[in-house]
Amino acid sequence: MKILVTVKLVPDTNADKRIDPATKRLVRTGVETVLNPFDEYAIEAALQLKEKLNDGSTVTIVSMTPASGKEIVRKALAMGADDAVMLSDDAVAGSDLWGTAVALAATIKAQSPDLVVTGTQSTDAISGDLPGMLAEKLGIPGLTYARKLEVDGGRVRVQRETETGYMTVSAPLPAVVSVTKSANEPRYPSLKGIMGAKKKEIKQLAAADIGLTVAVGTDGAKAQLTDLATPPARAKGHVIQAPDAAEGAKAIVQFLKDRKFL
Amino acid sequence: MKNVIAYIEHKHGTIRRSSLEAATQARAIADQLGGKAHAVVAGDGAQQAAETLKKYPLDQIHVMEEERFIDGAVDAVEAVAKSSGPSLVLVGNTMIGRDVGSRFAARVDCGINADVVDFKTEGGEVSCVMPKLGGLVITTCKLTGSDYGVAAIRPNVFAAKETPGAGEIVQIPSSGKASTVTVEDEVEEAAAELGVEEASVVVSGGRGMGGPEPFTTILKDLADAFGGAVGASRAAVDAGWVSHGHQVGQTGKTISPQLYIAVGISGAIQHKVGMRTSETIVAINKDAGAPIAEFADLLVAGDAFAIVPELTKLVRDAKAVHA
Repeated sequence: MKILVTVKLVPDTNADKRIDPATKRLVRTGVETVLNPFDEYAIEAALQLKEKLNDGSTVTIVSMTPASGKEIVRKALAMGADDAVMLSDDAVAGSDLWGTAVALAATIKAQSPDLVVTGTQSTDAISGDLPGMLAEKLGIPGLTYARKLEVDGGRVRVQRETETGYMTVSAPLPAVVSVTKSANEPRYPSLKGIMGAKKKEIKQLAAADIGLTVAVGTDGAKAQLTDLATPPARAKGHVIQAPDAAEGAKAIVQFLKDRKFL
Repeated sequence: MKNVIAYIEHKHGTIRRSSLEAATQARAIADQLGGKAHAVVAGDGAQQAAETLKKYPLDQIHVMEEERFIDGAVDAVEAVAKSSGPSLVLVGNTMIGRDVGSRFAARVDCGINADVVDFKTEGGEVSCVMPKLGGLVITTCKLTGSDYGVAAIRPNVFAAKETPGAGEIVQIPSSGKASTVTVEDEVEEAAAELGVEEASVVVSGGRGMGGPEPFTTILKDLADAFGGAVGASRAAVDAGWVSHGHQVGQTGKTISPQLYIAVGISGAIQHKVGMRTSETIVAINKDAGAPIAEFADLLVAGDAFAIVPELTKLVRDAKAVHA
Protein backbone atom coordinates (compact mmCIF):
# COMPACT_ATOMS: atom_id res chain seq x y z
CA MET A 1 0.00 0.00 0.00
CA LYS A 2 1.28 3.46 -0.82
CA ILE A 3 0.71 5.86 2.07
CA LEU A 4 1.23 9.60 1.60
CA VAL A 5 1.65 12.08 4.42
CA THR A 6 1.32 15.82 3.82
CA VAL A 7 3.56 18.10 5.86
CA LYS A 8 3.96 21.84 6.22
CA LEU A 9 6.71 24.08 7.47
CA VAL A 10 5.65 26.58 10.10
CA PRO A 11 7.35 29.21 12.26
CA ASP A 12 8.57 27.75 15.56
CA THR A 13 5.53 27.36 17.78
CA ASN A 14 7.41 28.36 20.89
CA ALA A 15 8.86 31.55 19.49
CA ASP A 16 7.29 34.86 20.43
CA LYS A 17 6.48 36.28 17.01
CA ARG A 18 6.67 39.94 16.12
CA ILE A 19 5.33 42.01 13.26
CA ASP A 20 7.59 44.58 11.65
CA PRO A 21 5.60 47.83 12.02
CA ALA A 22 6.98 49.21 8.73
CA THR A 23 6.54 46.23 6.41
CA LYS A 24 3.67 44.69 8.39
CA ARG A 25 5.23 41.30 7.81
CA LEU A 26 6.23 38.65 10.28
CA VAL A 27 9.79 39.18 11.47
CA ARG A 28 11.42 35.93 10.38
CA THR A 29 14.89 36.72 11.63
CA GLY A 30 15.57 34.58 14.63
CA VAL A 31 12.35 32.60 14.20
CA GLU A 32 13.20 29.04 13.28
CA THR A 33 11.08 27.05 10.84
CA VAL A 34 9.86 23.71 12.12
CA LEU A 35 7.78 20.78 10.99
CA ASN A 36 4.14 21.59 11.80
CA PRO A 37 3.63 19.80 15.16
CA PHE A 38 0.22 18.45 14.05
CA ASP A 39 1.90 16.72 11.10
CA GLU A 40 4.10 14.64 13.39
CA TYR A 41 0.99 12.74 14.48
CA ALA A 42 0.17 12.07 10.83
CA ILE A 43 3.68 10.75 10.15
CA GLU A 44 3.56 8.56 13.25
CA ALA A 45 0.13 7.18 12.28
CA ALA A 46 1.39 6.33 8.78
CA LEU A 47 4.54 4.65 10.13
CA GLN A 48 2.55 2.61 12.63
CA LEU A 49 0.19 1.51 9.88
CA LYS A 50 3.10 0.50 7.65
CA GLU A 51 4.71 -1.46 10.49
CA LYS A 52 1.46 -3.20 11.35
CA LEU A 53 0.67 -4.15 7.77
CA ASN A 54 4.25 -5.34 7.28
CA ASP A 55 3.54 -6.05 3.62
CA GLY A 56 6.04 -3.80 1.88
CA SER A 57 3.84 -0.72 2.25
CA THR A 58 5.65 2.58 1.86
CA VAL A 59 5.31 6.04 3.41
CA THR A 60 5.96 9.06 1.18
CA ILE A 61 6.13 12.61 2.51
CA VAL A 62 4.52 15.31 0.37
CA SER A 63 5.07 19.01 0.93
CA MET A 64 4.38 22.23 -0.90
CA THR A 65 7.30 24.32 0.19
CA PRO A 66 10.17 26.45 -1.09
CA ALA A 67 13.37 24.51 -1.78
CA SER A 68 14.72 25.82 1.52
CA GLY A 69 12.28 23.52 3.29
CA LYS A 70 14.29 20.45 2.38
CA GLU A 71 15.89 20.09 5.80
CA ILE A 72 12.51 20.00 7.51
CA VAL A 73 11.24 17.39 5.07
CA ARG A 74 14.35 15.40 5.94
CA LYS A 75 13.24 15.32 9.56
CA ALA A 76 10.11 13.48 8.45
CA LEU A 77 12.35 11.03 6.58
CA ALA A 78 14.49 10.64 9.69
CA MET A 79 11.40 9.56 11.61
CA GLY A 80 11.15 6.63 9.19
CA ALA A 81 9.33 7.68 6.02
CA ASP A 82 10.71 6.13 2.83
CA ASP A 83 10.95 9.08 0.46
CA ALA A 84 9.57 12.54 -0.19
CA VAL A 85 8.07 14.71 -2.91
CA MET A 86 8.36 18.48 -2.72
CA LEU A 87 6.36 20.89 -4.84
CA SER A 88 8.62 23.93 -5.02
CA ASP A 89 7.67 26.61 -7.48
CA ASP A 90 7.22 30.39 -7.39
CA ALA A 91 3.91 29.83 -9.18
CA VAL A 92 2.40 28.31 -6.04
CA ALA A 93 3.94 30.75 -3.55
CA GLY A 94 1.37 32.80 -1.67
CA SER A 95 -1.47 30.40 -2.45
CA ASP A 96 -4.63 30.72 -0.40
CA LEU A 97 -6.40 27.63 0.95
CA TRP A 98 -8.11 26.96 -2.37
CA GLY A 99 -4.85 27.27 -4.33
CA THR A 100 -3.03 25.09 -1.84
CA ALA A 101 -5.70 22.42 -2.11
CA VAL A 102 -5.59 22.50 -5.92
CA ALA A 103 -1.79 22.31 -6.14
CA LEU A 104 -1.35 19.77 -3.38
CA ALA A 105 -4.13 17.55 -4.73
CA ALA A 106 -2.48 17.54 -8.17
CA THR A 107 0.84 16.60 -6.56
CA ILE A 108 -0.82 13.81 -4.59
CA LYS A 109 -2.77 12.50 -7.58
CA ALA A 110 0.44 12.08 -9.57
CA GLN A 111 1.65 9.69 -6.84
CA SER A 112 -1.49 7.47 -7.00
CA PRO A 113 -1.64 6.79 -3.26
CA ASP A 114 -3.88 4.26 -1.51
CA LEU A 115 -4.13 6.42 1.59
CA VAL A 116 -3.37 10.08 2.37
CA VAL A 117 -2.74 10.97 6.02
CA THR A 118 -2.68 14.59 7.21
CA GLY A 119 -2.56 16.49 10.48
CA THR A 120 -5.77 18.23 11.52
CA GLN A 121 -4.40 21.72 10.98
CA SER A 122 -1.24 23.81 10.88
CA THR A 123 -0.09 25.94 13.77
CA ASP A 124 0.24 29.05 11.62
CA ALA A 125 -2.93 29.11 9.51
CA ILE A 126 -5.04 27.09 11.99
CA SER A 127 -7.86 26.59 9.49
CA GLY A 128 -8.35 22.82 9.63
CA ASP A 129 -9.82 23.06 6.13
CA LEU A 130 -7.21 21.36 3.98
CA PRO A 131 -8.03 17.66 4.68
CA GLY A 132 -11.63 18.09 3.50
CA MET A 133 -10.58 20.14 0.49
CA LEU A 134 -8.01 17.53 -0.55
CA ALA A 135 -10.57 14.72 -0.32
CA GLU A 136 -13.00 16.70 -2.44
CA LYS A 137 -10.37 17.67 -5.02
CA LEU A 138 -9.13 14.08 -5.24
CA GLY A 139 -12.70 12.83 -5.47
CA ILE A 140 -12.18 10.29 -2.68
CA PRO A 141 -13.70 9.86 0.80
CA GLY A 142 -12.35 12.09 3.57
CA LEU A 143 -12.37 10.95 7.18
CA THR A 144 -11.30 13.70 9.53
CA TYR A 145 -10.36 14.03 13.22
CA ALA A 146 -9.29 10.39 13.56
CA ARG A 147 -7.90 9.37 16.92
CA LYS A 148 -7.50 5.78 15.73
CA LEU A 149 -7.22 4.28 12.27
CA GLU A 150 -6.95 0.83 10.78
CA VAL A 151 -6.90 -0.57 7.27
CA ASP A 152 -8.50 -3.89 6.47
CA GLY A 153 -9.85 -5.47 3.32
CA GLY A 154 -9.50 -2.37 1.18
CA ARG A 155 -11.28 -0.15 3.70
CA VAL A 156 -10.06 2.38 6.21
CA ARG A 157 -11.88 2.56 9.51
CA VAL A 158 -11.36 5.42 11.95
CA GLN A 159 -12.56 6.60 15.31
CA ARG A 160 -13.61 10.17 14.61
CA GLU A 161 -13.49 12.46 17.62
CA THR A 162 -16.67 14.35 18.45
CA GLU A 163 -17.29 16.98 21.11
CA THR A 164 -18.72 14.35 23.45
CA GLY A 165 -17.00 11.12 22.44
CA TYR A 166 -16.33 9.48 19.11
CA MET A 167 -17.96 7.83 16.15
CA THR A 168 -16.66 4.96 14.07
CA VAL A 169 -16.69 5.69 10.35
CA SER A 170 -15.26 3.72 7.45
CA ALA A 171 -14.75 4.15 3.73
CA PRO A 172 -13.19 2.34 0.80
CA LEU A 173 -9.59 3.14 -0.18
CA PRO A 174 -8.19 5.37 -1.48
CA ALA A 175 -9.14 7.95 1.13
CA VAL A 176 -7.87 10.99 3.01
CA VAL A 177 -7.62 10.71 6.80
CA SER A 178 -6.66 13.51 9.18
CA VAL A 179 -5.40 12.43 12.58
CA THR A 180 -5.60 14.28 15.90
CA LYS A 181 -3.13 14.67 18.72
CA SER A 182 -4.88 11.85 20.57
CA ALA A 183 -3.92 9.33 17.86
CA ASN A 184 -0.41 8.59 19.07
CA GLU A 185 2.86 9.82 20.55
CA PRO A 186 5.18 10.79 17.67
CA ARG A 187 8.59 9.10 17.78
CA TYR A 188 11.85 10.99 17.85
CA PRO A 189 14.18 10.38 14.93
CA SER A 190 16.89 7.91 15.95
CA LEU A 191 20.54 8.55 15.12
CA LYS A 192 20.30 5.72 12.60
CA GLY A 193 17.19 7.36 11.15
CA ILE A 194 18.93 10.73 10.86
CA MET A 195 21.92 9.18 9.11
CA GLY A 196 19.69 7.08 6.85
CA ALA A 197 17.53 10.07 5.89
CA LYS A 198 20.47 11.70 4.16
CA LYS A 199 20.42 8.95 1.55
CA LYS A 200 16.67 8.98 0.97
CA GLU A 201 15.27 10.53 -2.18
CA ILE A 202 13.55 13.92 -2.08
CA LYS A 203 11.98 14.47 -5.48
CA GLN A 204 11.50 18.14 -6.33
CA LEU A 205 8.67 19.01 -8.67
CA ALA A 206 7.65 22.24 -10.37
CA ALA A 207 4.09 23.30 -11.19
CA ALA A 208 4.55 22.12 -14.80
CA ASP A 209 5.42 18.60 -13.59
CA ILE A 210 2.02 18.11 -11.99
CA GLY A 211 0.02 19.51 -14.89
CA LEU A 212 -1.36 22.51 -13.04
CA THR A 213 -3.69 24.26 -15.45
CA VAL A 214 -5.25 26.95 -13.28
CA ALA A 215 -3.53 29.94 -11.73
CA VAL A 216 -2.87 29.53 -8.03
CA GLY A 217 -0.33 31.43 -5.93
CA THR A 218 -0.80 35.04 -4.88
CA ASP A 219 -2.43 36.13 -8.15
CA GLY A 220 -4.88 33.26 -8.30
CA ALA A 221 -5.98 33.53 -4.68
CA LYS A 222 -9.75 33.61 -4.19
CA ALA A 223 -9.31 34.86 -0.64
CA GLN A 224 -7.02 37.84 -1.10
CA LEU A 225 -5.27 39.55 1.73
CA THR A 226 -6.22 43.21 1.61
CA ASP A 227 -5.19 44.43 5.01
CA LEU A 228 -2.99 43.41 7.88
CA ALA A 229 -3.13 45.36 11.09
CA THR A 230 -1.62 45.01 14.50
CA PRO A 231 -4.23 45.28 17.24
CA PRO A 232 -3.52 47.57 20.16
CA ALA A 233 -1.47 45.72 22.78
CA ARG A 234 -3.41 44.48 25.81
CA ALA A 235 -2.89 46.83 28.69
CA LYS A 236 -1.09 45.24 31.59
CA GLY A 237 -3.67 44.44 34.22
CA HIS A 238 -3.72 44.59 37.98
CA VAL A 239 -1.82 42.19 40.17
CA ILE A 240 -3.17 41.52 43.63
CA GLN A 241 -1.31 39.59 46.29
CA ALA A 242 -3.73 37.32 48.14
CA PRO A 243 -2.17 35.45 51.04
CA ASP A 244 -5.75 35.12 52.31
CA ALA A 245 -7.91 33.05 49.95
CA ALA A 246 -11.20 34.70 50.94
CA GLU A 247 -9.73 38.14 50.18
CA GLY A 248 -8.44 36.92 46.83
CA ALA A 249 -11.83 35.47 45.88
CA LYS A 250 -13.57 38.68 46.96
CA ALA A 251 -11.22 40.76 44.82
CA ILE A 252 -12.08 38.65 41.77
CA VAL A 253 -15.81 38.89 42.43
CA GLN A 254 -15.59 42.67 42.75
CA PHE A 255 -13.66 42.81 39.49
CA LEU A 256 -16.31 40.64 37.79
CA LYS A 257 -19.10 42.80 39.17
CA ASP A 258 -17.38 45.95 37.88
CA ARG A 259 -17.26 44.36 34.45
CA LYS A 260 -20.91 43.25 34.68
CA PHE A 261 -20.15 39.53 34.67
CA LEU A 262 -22.03 39.15 37.94
CA MET B 1 -22.19 37.72 -3.89
CA LYS B 2 -25.62 38.81 -2.91
CA ASN B 3 -27.19 36.10 -0.81
CA VAL B 4 -25.99 34.45 2.36
CA ILE B 5 -26.45 30.78 3.24
CA ALA B 6 -26.00 29.58 6.80
CA TYR B 7 -25.20 25.90 7.15
CA ILE B 8 -26.97 24.65 10.27
CA GLU B 9 -25.29 22.00 12.39
CA HIS B 10 -27.59 20.00 14.64
CA LYS B 11 -27.86 16.74 16.51
CA HIS B 12 -31.15 14.93 15.95
CA GLY B 13 -32.86 18.29 15.52
CA THR B 14 -31.13 20.21 18.32
CA ILE B 15 -29.20 23.08 16.78
CA ARG B 16 -25.72 24.08 17.92
CA ARG B 17 -25.43 27.59 19.22
CA SER B 18 -22.71 28.50 16.71
CA SER B 19 -25.21 27.71 13.93
CA LEU B 20 -27.81 30.03 15.45
CA GLU B 21 -25.09 32.67 15.45
CA ALA B 22 -24.51 31.91 11.74
CA ALA B 23 -28.26 32.16 11.02
CA THR B 24 -28.49 35.56 12.73
CA GLN B 25 -25.34 36.84 11.04
CA ALA B 26 -26.57 35.63 7.63
CA ARG B 27 -29.43 38.15 7.83
CA ALA B 28 -27.11 41.03 8.76
CA ILE B 29 -24.77 40.42 5.82
CA ALA B 30 -27.60 39.68 3.38
CA ASP B 31 -29.18 43.03 4.26
CA GLN B 32 -25.91 44.81 3.54
CA LEU B 33 -25.61 43.05 0.21
CA GLY B 34 -29.28 43.49 -0.65
CA GLY B 35 -29.84 39.74 -0.89
CA LYS B 36 -31.63 36.94 0.88
CA ALA B 37 -30.73 34.97 3.99
CA HIS B 38 -31.01 31.21 3.62
CA ALA B 39 -30.41 28.34 6.00
CA VAL B 40 -29.56 24.76 5.04
CA VAL B 41 -30.23 21.92 7.41
CA ALA B 42 -29.60 18.29 6.51
CA GLY B 43 -29.81 14.84 8.01
CA ASP B 44 -31.88 13.09 10.65
CA GLY B 45 -33.95 15.63 12.58
CA ALA B 46 -33.61 18.35 9.93
CA GLN B 47 -37.35 19.06 9.90
CA GLN B 48 -37.40 19.64 13.66
CA ALA B 49 -34.37 21.94 13.39
CA ALA B 50 -36.14 23.86 10.63
CA GLU B 51 -39.05 24.60 12.99
CA THR B 52 -36.60 26.11 15.49
CA LEU B 53 -35.03 28.16 12.70
CA LYS B 54 -38.35 29.92 12.06
CA LYS B 55 -37.55 32.03 15.13
CA TYR B 56 -34.49 33.43 13.36
CA PRO B 57 -34.44 36.16 10.68
CA LEU B 58 -34.24 33.93 7.60
CA ASP B 59 -36.02 34.20 4.27
CA GLN B 60 -35.86 30.52 3.41
CA ILE B 61 -35.00 27.38 5.35
CA HIS B 62 -33.94 24.49 3.13
CA VAL B 63 -34.39 20.99 4.49
CA MET B 64 -32.89 17.70 3.36
CA GLU B 65 -33.79 14.79 5.59
CA GLU B 66 -31.45 12.38 3.86
CA GLU B 67 -28.67 11.20 6.17
CA ARG B 68 -25.30 10.92 4.47
CA PHE B 69 -22.45 11.90 6.73
CA ILE B 70 -20.89 15.22 5.56
CA ASP B 71 -21.55 14.37 1.88
CA GLY B 72 -25.29 14.92 2.28
CA ALA B 73 -24.75 18.31 3.92
CA VAL B 74 -22.30 19.41 1.21
CA ASP B 75 -24.76 18.33 -1.51
CA ALA B 76 -27.54 20.27 0.21
CA VAL B 77 -25.46 23.45 0.50
CA GLU B 78 -24.37 23.08 -3.11
CA ALA B 79 -27.98 22.66 -4.29
CA VAL B 80 -29.12 25.79 -2.44
CA ALA B 81 -26.09 27.81 -3.61
CA LYS B 82 -26.70 26.85 -7.22
CA SER B 83 -30.43 27.67 -7.04
CA SER B 84 -30.14 30.95 -5.14
CA GLY B 85 -27.22 32.40 -7.09
CA PRO B 86 -23.98 34.06 -6.00
CA SER B 87 -23.72 33.46 -2.26
CA LEU B 88 -21.59 33.63 0.80
CA VAL B 89 -21.79 30.41 2.82
CA LEU B 90 -21.44 30.67 6.58
CA VAL B 91 -20.43 27.66 8.66
CA GLY B 92 -19.37 27.46 12.29
CA ASN B 93 -15.64 27.03 12.79
CA THR B 94 -16.33 23.64 14.39
CA MET B 95 -15.31 20.11 13.41
CA ILE B 96 -18.43 19.49 11.30
CA GLY B 97 -18.69 23.08 10.09
CA ARG B 98 -15.11 23.04 8.80
CA ASP B 99 -15.69 19.76 6.97
CA VAL B 100 -18.83 21.01 5.24
CA GLY B 101 -17.41 24.45 4.41
CA SER B 102 -14.07 23.19 3.12
CA ARG B 103 -15.64 20.50 0.92
CA PHE B 104 -18.10 22.96 -0.56
CA ALA B 105 -15.30 25.45 -1.30
CA ALA B 106 -13.23 22.79 -3.02
CA ARG B 107 -16.23 21.54 -4.98
CA VAL B 108 -17.27 24.89 -6.43
CA ASP B 109 -13.74 26.35 -6.52
CA CYS B 110 -14.28 29.33 -4.28
CA GLY B 111 -12.32 31.12 -1.60
CA ILE B 112 -12.60 30.12 2.03
CA ASN B 113 -11.69 32.00 5.17
CA ALA B 114 -11.37 30.29 8.54
CA ASP B 115 -11.93 31.60 12.04
CA VAL B 116 -13.72 34.77 10.97
CA VAL B 117 -14.56 37.34 13.68
CA ASP B 118 -15.93 40.19 11.58
CA PHE B 119 -17.21 41.04 8.09
CA LYS B 120 -16.93 44.05 5.81
CA THR B 121 -19.09 44.47 2.75
CA GLU B 122 -18.37 46.96 0.01
CA GLY B 123 -19.64 47.14 -3.57
CA GLY B 124 -21.20 43.70 -3.33
CA GLU B 125 -17.93 42.15 -2.19
CA VAL B 126 -17.38 40.49 1.15
CA SER B 127 -14.22 40.70 3.20
CA CYS B 128 -13.55 38.60 6.29
CA VAL B 129 -11.61 39.77 9.31
CA MET B 130 -9.53 37.14 11.08
CA PRO B 131 -7.00 37.27 13.89
CA LYS B 132 -3.88 35.32 12.95
CA LEU B 133 -0.89 34.18 14.95
CA GLY B 134 -3.04 34.14 18.04
CA GLY B 135 -4.29 37.68 17.70
CA LEU B 136 -0.87 39.13 16.99
CA VAL B 137 -2.16 40.40 13.66
CA ILE B 138 -5.63 41.07 12.33
CA THR B 139 -5.94 40.18 8.67
CA THR B 140 -8.66 41.16 6.21
CA CYS B 141 -9.25 38.93 3.20
CA LYS B 142 -11.56 39.67 0.31
CA LEU B 143 -13.46 36.76 -1.20
CA THR B 144 -13.08 37.21 -4.92
CA GLY B 145 -12.82 35.44 -8.27
CA SER B 146 -15.88 33.24 -7.84
CA ASP B 147 -19.64 33.40 -7.46
CA TYR B 148 -19.32 31.87 -4.03
CA GLY B 149 -17.28 32.25 -0.89
CA VAL B 150 -17.10 30.43 2.44
CA ALA B 151 -16.54 31.90 5.88
CA ALA B 152 -16.12 29.71 8.95
CA ILE B 153 -17.13 31.94 11.84
CA ARG B 154 -15.53 31.67 15.25
CA PRO B 155 -18.16 30.52 17.76
CA ASN B 156 -19.15 33.00 20.42
CA VAL B 157 -18.23 36.13 18.47
CA PHE B 158 -21.47 36.86 16.61
CA ALA B 159 -24.72 37.15 18.55
CA ALA B 160 -27.60 34.71 18.07
CA LYS B 161 -30.84 36.67 18.25
CA GLU B 162 -34.39 35.45 17.90
CA THR B 163 -36.16 37.68 15.37
CA PRO B 164 -38.57 35.76 13.18
CA GLY B 165 -38.22 36.20 9.41
CA ALA B 166 -40.31 34.92 6.52
CA GLY B 167 -38.97 31.48 7.34
CA GLU B 168 -40.37 29.67 4.33
CA ILE B 169 -39.49 25.99 4.59
CA VAL B 170 -38.33 24.46 1.30
CA GLN B 171 -37.67 20.74 0.90
CA ILE B 172 -34.58 19.66 -1.00
CA PRO B 173 -35.22 16.38 -2.79
CA SER B 174 -33.02 13.44 -1.86
CA SER B 175 -30.01 13.16 -4.13
CA GLY B 176 -30.29 9.40 -4.44
CA LYS B 177 -26.51 9.17 -4.27
CA ALA B 178 -24.78 6.33 -2.45
CA SER B 179 -22.77 7.21 0.61
CA THR B 180 -19.00 6.80 0.41
CA VAL B 181 -18.57 7.00 4.16
CA THR B 182 -20.32 4.52 6.46
CA VAL B 183 -21.13 5.56 10.01
CA GLU B 184 -20.84 2.36 12.05
CA ASP B 185 -21.55 3.64 15.54
CA GLU B 186 -21.48 6.70 17.75
CA VAL B 187 -20.29 6.61 21.35
CA GLU B 188 -20.93 9.25 24.01
CA GLU B 189 -18.10 9.36 26.51
CA ALA B 190 -18.95 12.56 28.30
CA ALA B 191 -22.19 14.23 29.21
CA ALA B 192 -23.22 16.65 26.51
CA GLU B 193 -21.58 19.82 27.66
CA LEU B 194 -20.66 23.07 26.05
CA GLY B 195 -17.35 22.80 24.19
CA VAL B 196 -14.50 25.06 25.15
CA GLU B 197 -14.84 26.86 21.79
CA GLU B 198 -18.47 27.77 22.31
CA ALA B 199 -18.57 28.61 26.01
CA SER B 200 -18.76 32.28 26.92
CA VAL B 201 -16.84 31.57 30.14
CA VAL B 202 -13.86 29.19 30.19
CA VAL B 203 -12.07 28.09 33.35
CA SER B 204 -8.70 26.58 32.43
CA GLY B 205 -6.14 24.70 34.48
CA GLY B 206 -2.44 24.22 33.92
CA ARG B 207 0.59 22.55 35.39
CA GLY B 208 -0.17 24.23 38.72
CA MET B 209 -3.16 21.91 39.20
CA GLY B 210 -0.77 19.08 39.99
CA GLY B 211 -2.98 16.24 38.71
CA PRO B 212 -6.21 15.23 36.98
CA GLU B 213 -8.57 15.61 39.93
CA PRO B 214 -8.94 19.38 40.17
CA PHE B 215 -10.20 19.45 36.57
CA THR B 216 -13.28 17.40 37.43
CA THR B 217 -13.78 18.95 40.85
CA ILE B 218 -12.74 22.51 41.64
CA LEU B 219 -12.34 23.84 38.09
CA LYS B 220 -15.52 22.08 36.93
CA ASP B 221 -17.42 23.55 39.88
CA LEU B 222 -16.36 27.08 38.99
CA ALA B 223 -17.09 26.54 35.30
CA ASP B 224 -20.53 25.17 36.21
CA ALA B 225 -21.25 28.19 38.40
CA PHE B 226 -20.81 30.35 35.29
CA GLY B 227 -22.47 27.86 32.94
CA GLY B 228 -19.10 27.64 31.19
CA ALA B 229 -16.56 25.03 30.14
CA VAL B 230 -13.28 23.64 31.47
CA GLY B 231 -10.13 24.24 29.45
CA ALA B 232 -6.51 23.22 29.89
CA SER B 233 -2.99 24.19 28.94
CA ARG B 234 -0.73 21.93 26.90
CA ALA B 235 1.24 20.94 29.99
CA ALA B 236 -1.92 19.58 31.64
CA VAL B 237 -2.99 17.73 28.49
CA ASP B 238 0.48 16.30 27.84
CA ALA B 239 0.58 15.08 31.46
CA GLY B 240 -2.61 13.14 30.70
CA TRP B 241 -4.70 14.98 33.29
CA VAL B 242 -7.38 16.06 30.84
CA SER B 243 -8.28 15.09 27.27
CA HIS B 244 -6.97 16.92 24.24
CA GLY B 245 -10.40 18.28 23.35
CA HIS B 246 -10.03 20.73 26.23
CA GLN B 247 -6.67 22.09 25.18
CA VAL B 248 -6.38 25.82 24.57
CA GLY B 249 -3.33 27.00 22.67
CA GLN B 250 -1.38 26.76 19.48
CA THR B 251 -1.58 22.97 19.28
CA GLY B 252 -5.07 23.02 20.77
CA LYS B 253 -8.00 25.35 20.24
CA THR B 254 -8.10 29.09 19.71
CA ILE B 255 -10.94 30.61 21.67
CA SER B 256 -12.54 33.99 22.35
CA PRO B 257 -14.76 33.66 25.40
CA GLN B 258 -16.10 36.73 27.14
CA LEU B 259 -14.32 35.65 30.30
CA TYR B 260 -11.25 33.44 30.58
CA ILE B 261 -10.08 32.32 34.00
CA ALA B 262 -6.59 30.80 33.96
CA VAL B 263 -5.79 28.78 37.05
CA GLY B 264 -2.22 27.64 37.68
CA ILE B 265 -1.23 28.55 34.13
CA SER B 266 2.03 30.43 33.67
CA GLY B 267 1.02 31.90 30.31
CA ALA B 268 3.66 30.54 27.96
CA ILE B 269 3.48 31.79 24.37
CA GLN B 270 1.93 28.51 23.23
CA HIS B 271 -1.02 29.09 25.52
CA LYS B 272 -1.23 32.84 25.04
CA VAL B 273 -1.78 32.32 21.31
CA GLY B 274 -4.93 30.31 22.00
CA MET B 275 -6.67 32.69 24.39
CA ARG B 276 -5.21 36.15 23.90
CA THR B 277 -8.37 37.34 22.15
CA SER B 278 -10.57 36.55 25.16
CA GLU B 279 -12.50 39.64 26.15
CA THR B 280 -11.52 39.58 29.81
CA ILE B 281 -8.73 37.49 31.35
CA VAL B 282 -8.42 36.66 35.03
CA ALA B 283 -5.47 34.63 36.30
CA ILE B 284 -5.01 32.86 39.60
CA ASN B 285 -1.43 31.87 40.12
CA LYS B 286 0.95 31.44 43.02
CA ASP B 287 3.58 33.40 41.10
CA ALA B 288 2.79 37.11 40.66
CA GLY B 289 5.64 37.34 38.16
CA ALA B 290 4.36 34.62 35.80
CA PRO B 291 4.27 35.68 32.12
CA ILE B 292 0.44 35.70 32.23
CA ALA B 293 0.66 38.87 34.38
CA GLU B 294 1.68 40.66 31.18
CA PHE B 295 -1.69 40.14 29.49
CA ALA B 296 -4.21 39.20 32.17
CA ASP B 297 -6.62 41.98 33.16
CA LEU B 298 -6.37 40.78 36.73
CA LEU B 299 -3.89 38.41 38.34
CA VAL B 300 -4.52 37.23 41.86
CA ALA B 301 -1.37 35.76 43.36
CA GLY B 302 -2.20 33.11 45.91
CA ASP B 303 -3.19 29.51 46.54
CA ALA B 304 -5.54 28.46 43.75
CA PHE B 305 -6.75 25.42 45.68
CA ALA B 306 -8.11 27.72 48.38
CA ILE B 307 -9.17 30.66 46.20
CA VAL B 308 -11.14 28.78 43.51
CA PRO B 309 -13.63 26.99 45.83
CA GLU B 310 -14.17 30.27 47.69
CA LEU B 311 -14.70 32.08 44.40
CA THR B 312 -17.16 29.40 43.24
CA LYS B 313 -19.22 29.96 46.37
CA LEU B 314 -19.28 33.74 45.89
CA VAL B 315 -20.19 33.43 42.22
CA ARG B 316 -23.07 31.08 43.09
CA ASP B 317 -24.27 33.53 45.76
CA ALA B 318 -24.08 36.47 43.36
CA LYS B 319 -25.98 34.56 40.68
CA ALA B 320 -28.63 33.47 43.20
CA VAL B 321 -29.32 37.11 44.11
CA HIS B 322 -30.01 37.92 40.46
CA ALA B 323 -32.08 34.79 39.85
